[in-house]
Amino acid sequence: MKLERRLEQPWWLSVAVPLGSLVVAFGMMAVILAATGHDPVETYREILDAAFTGNGAFSATFISATPILFTGLAAAAAFRMQLFNIGAEGQLYLGAVGASWIALQLGDRSATSTPLYVVAMCVAAGLAGALWALIPGVLKAFARTNEIITSLMLNYVAGLLLTYLIFDSSSYWRDTSTLQARAFPQGKPMPEASNWPTFGSEVVVPLGFVIGLATALALWVLYTRMRFGFEVAVIADSPRAARYAGMRTRRKILSVMAVSGAIAGLGGASQIGDFTYTLDGSTTGLQAAAFGYTGIVVAALARYNPLAVCLVAVLIGGLQNAGYTLQGPDFPSGLVGVMQGIILFCALGGELLLRYRLRIRRRSSAHGGSGPAVEPAR
Amino acid sequence: MVGITKRFPGVVANDDVSFEAAEGEVHALLGENGAGKTTLSNILTGLYRQDEGEIELYGEQVRFHSPRDALDAGICMVHQHFRLVEPFSVAENVVLGDHRGAARRFVFHSSAIEKRVEELSTRYGLAVDPKARVWQLSVGEQQRVEILKALYREARILIMDEPTAVLTPQEAEALFGTLRAMAGEGKTVIFISHKLHEVKAVADRVTVLRGGRTVATVDAEPATLRSLAALMVGREIDVARPLEQPRRLADVRTLEVDGLTVAGDRGELAVKDVSFAIREGEIVGVAGVAGNGQRELAEAVSGMRDIRAGSVRIAGRRLRGGDPREAIRAGVGHVPEDRLGTGLAPSLSVTSNVVIKTYRRRSFSRGPLLALRRMREAAVGIIRRYDVKTPGPGTPVRNLSGGNLQKLVLGREFEDDPLVLVVAQPTRGLDVGAIETVHSYLRDAATRGVAILLMSEDLDEILALADRILVVYEGEIVGELHAGAASIEEIGLLMAGGGSE
Amino acid sequence: MNDTLLVVVLADAVLYGTPLLFASLGELLAERSGVLNLGVEGMMLFGAVVGFWTTQRVEGASALVLVLAILASGLAGAAMAAIHAFLTITLRANQIVSGLALTIFAGGLGLSAYVGTELGFSPDLPARQRLGSLDVWGLADLPVLGPIVFDQSALVYASWIATLLVGLYLGRTRFGLNVRAVGEAPASADAMGINVTLYRYVHVLIGGGFAGVAGACYSLSISPGWIAGDTLIGGAGWIAIALVIFAFWRAELCLVGAYLFGALSALPFALQARDVEVAPEFLYAIPYLMTIVVLVIASTGLSKRRLGAPAALGIPYVREER
Repeated sequence: MKLERRLEQPWWLSVAVPLGSLVVAFGMMAVILAATGHDPVETYREILDAAFTGNGAFSATFISATPILFTGLAAAAAFRMQLFNIGAEGQLYLGAVGASWIALQLGDRSATSTPLYVVAMCVAAGLAGALWALIPGVLKAFARTNEIITSLMLNYVAGLLLTYLIFDSSSYWRDTSTLQARAFPQGKPMPEASNWPTFGSEVVVPLGFVIGLATALALWVLYTRMRFGFEVAVIADSPRAARYAGMRTRRKILSVMAVSGAIAGLGGASQIGDFTYTLDGSTTGLQAAAFGYTGIVVAALARYNPLAVCLVAVLIGGLQNAGYTLQGPDFPSGLVGVMQGIILFCALGGELLLRYRLRIRRRSSAHGGSGPAVEPAR
Repeated sequence: MVGITKRFPGVVANDDVSFEAAEGEVHALLGENGAGKTTLSNILTGLYRQDEGEIELYGEQVRFHSPRDALDAGICMVHQHFRLVEPFSVAENVVLGDHRGAARRFVFHSSAIEKRVEELSTRYGLAVDPKARVWQLSVGEQQRVEILKALYREARILIMDEPTAVLTPQEAEALFGTLRAMAGEGKTVIFISHKLHEVKAVADRVTVLRGGRTVATVDAEPATLRSLAALMVGREIDVARPLEQPRRLADVRTLEVDGLTVAGDRGELAVKDVSFAIREGEIVGVAGVAGNGQRELAEAVSGMRDIRAGSVRIAGRRLRGGDPREAIRAGVGHVPEDRLGTGLAPSLSVTSNVVIKTYRRRSFSRGPLLALRRMREAAVGIIRRYDVKTPGPGTPVRNLSGGNLQKLVLGREFEDDPLVLVVAQPTRGLDVGAIETVHSYLRDAATRGVAILLMSEDLDEILALADRILVVYEGEIVGELHAGAASIEEIGLLMAGGGSE
Repeated sequence: MNDTLLVVVLADAVLYGTPLLFASLGELLAERSGVLNLGVEGMMLFGAVVGFWTTQRVEGASALVLVLAILASGLAGAAMAAIHAFLTITLRANQIVSGLALTIFAGGLGLSAYVGTELGFSPDLPARQRLGSLDVWGLADLPVLGPIVFDQSALVYASWIATLLVGLYLGRTRFGLNVRAVGEAPASADAMGINVTLYRYVHVLIGGGFAGVAGACYSLSISPGWIAGDTLIGGAGWIAIALVIFAFWRAELCLVGAYLFGALSALPFALQARDVEVAPEFLYAIPYLMTIVVLVIASTGLSKRRLGAPAALGIPYVREER
């Protein structure tokens, strides 16, 4: 048994391997479930029902899928250039802060046009997220500081900021109107007009999801059809070659981080506009949802392809949704994380098959072994 | 080694190769680049495992599962690319991985090891400071550390892989002396090379490899350079250097370097106050042992390295320095010595690499959008015109062979109509056919008026191509000769620091 | 005298810094062999759970149970590390993504929580055992030094021994030389007969063991008990990774750094206990911000090559490649 590097990659392999690793992952999960006394088939059926087929399930799945669609795109945008932006979590929080600020501001000025709110919230959120991402971006570009740790540390700082805004200050975001609100801290409710519309009635699709799809398309075009994407591809493959070719690597780092942060920020806007209608500063709400980290899982499974991210986000969203719905004595918490982890492990293992082929060596003489026709040495 | 066969994806590196070497002999493995010599030696040292065939050591069949087995059997190799750990000291490198005797102890006693290293280095004439960190040493000194590693382990068989690539002619002579002394003590030395005169100078017997197969094993004494060359290449080639008339050149100075001072990676001055000029259509060769500033000079001219002092002018326009884009716009083409690591993005397609510098031009992009079809057409054009063998323009360039990579890079640079072309080690690792092709492309470019700055460690190449030769030593130009009047001995002397009177 | 802010903070610095020290020593060993393991947070949490479980379920003398618990948490951490090792060394996967996957898998929303709830843990479950401070030689009441040096738990003293051992191992033994070679120049080490794969596996697993023990510091000593989610550790695993860089990959500096960050973590509580009016979030944010500052300082100006990072860190080693 030997591993040899592949010379070229047949196209069907990039679909077969991820699918195959998914199958393997579910298989392993089934074994673990069985070993801990749960019936795997029954569990899977329940998951499927809670995620997609049951009453109102798909709508709930969209609620889970929307934020990780954004963070998945954010991660994909950065990881494609070997910029490991782990900070989507914090960038999303900052986006929420920005979006809620502009919504409240507009509300104070009695604005009533929902489209105005939507656009304003997206812009504010994108800016906030981009700025937060530029901190590790600048540090990486100019001080060559490892972006993984810096963006990660800023996640914690962003979370603390959220808590501070709502719990330990009398900030603009905090609701101080009633006695109860002053005693049990919470965020100001957003103006009615700032609630984002939805689509459909049987299956309800939030506006955020649609915005996410549009973002995915835009990202795909940017990375495959534009100069921007070409430079990203070269820098990712060989920073030395990029410098040789006269590319401005530092500027690219900044712009990619900004794009990534902006997309994550949009996720924050969607949280406010689509779902919570207020800034949630508690440590058990937004901060416990781990949208940013789940987004990384989504991006890795989608192999950083923006269009694939959309699909994977729905799948993982379904899984998460099922996790929340089914939580109880029969359905252990932590199962979701375990499943995601196993899926990722299998996907990583599958990567190997994409880059290398397994050659089974026969110990016999002469010209054993299969493989491409070999020409004499050059 | 009997009947050795080794296959890699897409190529058979060794095809039923057999040869034997005796105790106390210096046995040369001769072949051009890609003939399979390095692969064979990697099998002998346990780094690779052969697909078929057997190895016999002192009459007994042996099977190596890892480099450790080979080392235990007394086989040591000095690779072309050293296997040293740079932050470690010489002593630490020498003793690394050794698990006999003194080193078996759990705790590491450096003083005892340093003493032994000193003993060995004096005894064999390999002067080096055992306490020095390897990254501080010159390339020649690093090679001595590699040899000391073998001696420390009391190797019975020593394999030297292209050892003189990094040495001056005088240092090479000293090395040959050391190798003959070791053979005299009963050790076996296997000398891998593609250089005919070296093989003739040091070896007792020669095995010639070609295209992965053994061609012949002959005694070195009676063989001539011509006969060896014929075996190596498979046809009669003219070994003598053709005498060329100096060419007529226009008096336009395309590249002017004045008082150029450039810092190296560790902050020290790599290029010191260098001045020269290259005229339109002139080829100036820079000769020197690796590590004397050629790389930094090439990088400064092409914008990849900052200019600390002095100036670089292209067609009269002065470069700020440190900005590859500026140099590209000024008309500087660059064929770097590290083809796949610097000049090309390995995983990207031929097409992407063809436009890697020019993708912003209006011919290849409309605003921020790429014109993919036009890029592809350009790539196809270059593939055709420069005979780049590839399955297609979409193939990742890392799949291409060395020769085709170089043709691709050259084609790309030429198509951009540069004023100046900086070329570093253009034919390293290429087989004779590819070398001839590359040389012809360079001569064509010169005929068309491109000023060429050629850095090469291969003196034959410089003598064949250059109109003028500059010799660098420790960052300074120590000699300037016209090609017709130059001799290898004189150049070698200058390369080693012995100035001419 | 021993009640002053300084002494209390320093004493707490040692307490809070100990898990950081263990975790960073473990990560140091892994990184010295060239493998980056970002799954520290997950390994610590899993180690914490398993350690706690051991104290709840195993009957016996207090000291024995605690020792077993620590061993168990070390093994738990190593088991998690084994996954990462297999993926990155044998299957040559991207080390960064693999480490993140491990954190998700083993972390507060994954295996640790799974095991925690499966075993019926809840935040109100009282801890049956905890590692109390040992009053060493009765010197706990010495001015200044007493509470800091002589009144700590056994794990703290173990961590000092560990630091010493790791430092000596890397700097003075033959195996330490070999592993450093593996991290700097695996091709050279391989050519010299050193088994790169073996060294990497061993060091990653030991690194995981250390991380598991670091987790046990929390569930057995600092805040005995179990809290679902990742608030038990709150990012300490990540700080440990940063610590290794801060320490220029040297064991002694890991100790300095760990206590520095321990002090920063202890500060908020100490200040609060003295009714100092500062919004706690600012204080809690300090360790994270300090990590960033420290990292920036460590990466600018220095030639990383000469002063720290193992040159082959993060790159899978492949022997037979054309």
